[in-house]
Amino acid sequence: MGFSTEQAAERAVQALRTRGFDSVLVTVSETERCELNLAQNEPSLLRSNAARKLSATGIVDGRRASAEASDLSDEGVAGLVDALWTAASTAPADAAHAVSQGQHLQVSQGQRDADPTALADALRELLAWRAEHTPTMMIEEAAASHIHQRLHTRTHAPGGAGSNLALDLGWCELSVFGLAREGGRTSSFNGAGGSAEALTHATSRFGIEPMMRELTRQVHTQPLGERFVGDVVLAPGAVTDLLGWLMGQLGDGPLIEGSSVYRDSVGLLIASPLLTLRSRYDAPGCAPVSGDAFVTPPVTLLDAGRLTQLTPSFYGSRKTGLAHKPVASEGWELLAGSTPLAQMIAAVPRGALVDRLSMGRPAPNGDFSGVIKNSFALEDGKIGAALSETMINGNVAQMLKDVLAVSVERIDGGSAALPWVRIGGLHFS
Amino acid sequence: MSASTSYLETRHHELRKTRMVMVDGNLTSNLRSVQAGVSARAYVDGYWGFASAPADGAGVHDQVRATAAGNARAMGLFGARPSLVLPGAHYRGEQRRMGRTAMTAGDCTDRMAELHAHCMSRYPGLKSTRIMATDELHAKSLRTDAGGDSLALIQRVAVSVVLVAEDDQGTPIEVRESLSGMGSFADIDWSVQTLAAKLDRLHGHLQAKRHAVPARGGLHTVVLAPDLAGMLAHEAMGHPCEADAVLSGAITADLKGKRVASELISMVDLAHHYNGQETLCPVYVDDEGTPAEDVLMIDRGVLRQFMHSRETAARLGLPPSGNARAYGPDDEPLVRMRNTAILPGTSTLDELVAGVEDGYLLLDTSNGQADATTEFMFGVNLAYEIRGGKLGAAVRDTTVSGSALKVLQSVDGVGSDMKWSNSGYCGKKQPMVVSVGGPSLRARAQLGGQ
Repeated sequence: MGFSTEQAAERAVQALRTRGFDSVLVTVSETERCELNLAQNEPSLLRSNAARKLSATGIVDGRRASAEASDLSDEGVAGLVDALWTAASTAPADAAHAVSQGQHLQVSQGQRDADPTALADALRELLAWRAEHTPTMMIEEAAASHIHQRLHTRTHAPGGAGSNLALDLGWCELSVFGLAREGGRTSSFNGAGGSAEALTHATSRFGIEPMMRELTRQVHTQPLGERFVGDVVLAPGAVTDLLGWLMGQLGDGPLIEGSSVYRDSVGLLIASPLLTLRSRYDAPGCAPVSGDAFVTPPVTLLDAGRLTQLTPSFYGSRKTGLAHKPVASEGWELLAGSTPLAQMIAAVPRGALVDRLSMGRPAPNGDFSGVIKNSFALEDGKIGAALSETMINGNVAQMLKDVLAVSVERIDGGSAALPWVRIGGLHFS
Repeated sequence: MSASTSYLETRHHELRKTRMVMVDGNLTSNLRSVQAGVSARAYVDGYWGFASAPADGAGVHDQVRATAAGNARAMGLFGARPSLVLPGAHYRGEQRRMGRTAMTAGDCTDRMAELHAHCMSRYPGLKSTRIMATDELHAKSLRTDAGGDSLALIQRVAVSVVLVAEDDQGTPIEVRESLSGMGSFADIDWSVQTLAAKLDRLHGHLQAKRHAVPARGGLHTVVLAPDLAGMLAHEAMGHPCEADAVLSGAITADLKGKRVASELISMVDLAHHYNGQETLCPVYVDDEGTPAEDVLMIDRGVLRQFMHSRETAARLGLPPSGNARAYGPDDEPLVRMRNTAILPGTSTLDELVAGVEDGYLLLDTSNGQADATTEFMFGVNLAYEIRGGKLGAAVRDTTVSGSALKVLQSVDGVGSDMKWSNSGYCGKKQPMVVSVGGPSLRARAQLGGQ
């Protein structure tokens, strides 16, 4: 990594201002990835990616456009500026368009240089663990990676102090994906992974070992076979789907369209008091910066079930009149509860332990149905057979309210740390 | 190429994309991007090495080739591994760019604004419109050290219009009309005049959905419209027929030569032509330089062929099919589909519906997922009840699922209609532009509901 992202960003800002833009936002990034891959239980590939990107947004007379390019030469920047000018000048004017101002941040964290030997050790450890503990599992693909990313963001707006944000982040990732097979029978596939400063003993982190163990118990499955109303114990991977829907409802699209079920819910209990969701922007690979270049202070978004704020972008806020309280897209944790997982499972009269939800996009009001994958039947507090072709039906907003317990245990995947959650009242079919 | 390097490919890949989103007349996304990179992939002593870098650097070709070969050699730290002889021919030739002169950014913006204005003026009570217009162009120059030298182009455009209203309970509901094709915004007709009739029908569905009833959960007879049949072909049976999935233990590994579907079902992954016409995602040469061939996966119900890269072909002792594709300049080729379809039969949609005493007509899907077991799930955002062979009430958003093997074996009617679409992305480590096609199908499948 040799060139100055700061100088490149400043050059682009000047070029855009010279062209006539009133307000500009420019980010220049340089990313290097070193990655070792497994395929079908064997080491397969070593990858080196180097990438540069110039991202620019320009506003002229309230008309906005954005452009991205990998060519940062003078000719490349000139071409981007021309394309941006053409696109912006023919866009409809919108008084809500604006760029961040007065934001200043410099973050430097993590290892800058990849250690291929350490990445190889992480994969050797994974292969050895699989061979010893889950020999029927086929790792279809796995990757141990180191990523180093430098970003510099500059903005300019008339009469205001521009923003200046610099990030220098290094982190590692491990991901594992596969299935188990015995004779002619196959489990569903599943995966696990996470990010960390280093991948020491990574196989025992990120929920990888339990995922692999459970796959070997999911080769022989059976459908539940009847309809009933029962409980689900959602593993962290499935909890992600609930939180993803919630976060979507708090953001620009549903707020601008007017379809968000939470538009008027700030300060209200929208979820079980057992749920507290807060930021962890200092997690590996994360930074306290929003996508539109605002510094994001730590936030508790759900405080014992109470919604503390909405999360429109700067544009969304100006468009809707809602308060602008920026959040970063990555780096969240659901606080651990007080119920041990074993106790949580033991309390379920009838239902399922669900590792993965395969569902259609929930309706705007949260109604959904989906197939529960990599799941086990629960009856009288005991884990039963692995399930196939079993669906659940419910409403995501109601599920957030119907949480009965949150586990003491969590899986810390770096950018997200999540517990198991028990929810009642789901329709099984 | 060094003495131990048995394969080396070098790709210059330029990817241009446009993404415009208009919500209620507000242009909320107005983005154009150009990514140009050079990558190389080397196969040395049984291991792969890959490297990529921005295309504008001096000496970048030599640099990434050396890095890729060095990376492959570095994999020797995992120990010696038998080296495969990678089979297949090496394509030489250039694909020519076709299509009309591109529309300007201003023309696209005006078109979107016209569509929004048309909908708001013609459909009173509409709460919102959302119009999305995207296009992308991949230009890939590929050289293999065994003599391949090609230029491949993939260009696709997609436009969707979403109408949002409220149902009887005040809950937001929406319906979507999608249009996709090969080329740029100028190559599909998305004028208000052409779309007006489709939008009228779409609004009719929206009105019906205001009074929609919930689906009854459980196993039902369903008529899948062509959009869902194409999704079924791609997700539920296509992925398990990718040879890397087969090598990883997908259930299809033991089913070759066996009956996996009704005799009415034939399913293909086409390289570049169907019935004498170029497909929506024509692949003449894949990203390993292999000339692309059609793959007949299911022939009248019997599983016949899998899709291959050079490596999976070598492992299974078969010829490569030209299915190794890379999405972006930083991506290596993986086994991916191209134009996947269930072939049409002889029934009409009306005949398929008329034969259902109690079931559902599923018209549009929001998303889909599948599994190595062939168990699949599609979101269904437009459906109607069928009672006594006639359409009944609209159905609230639901999910259709099942084992593709069971569902395809239950097919008792295949439509003569055929619809192709290339609007979505396939996801498998990398995204990918593909097209899917299919006729109407009648089968038994699970619906989500109480």
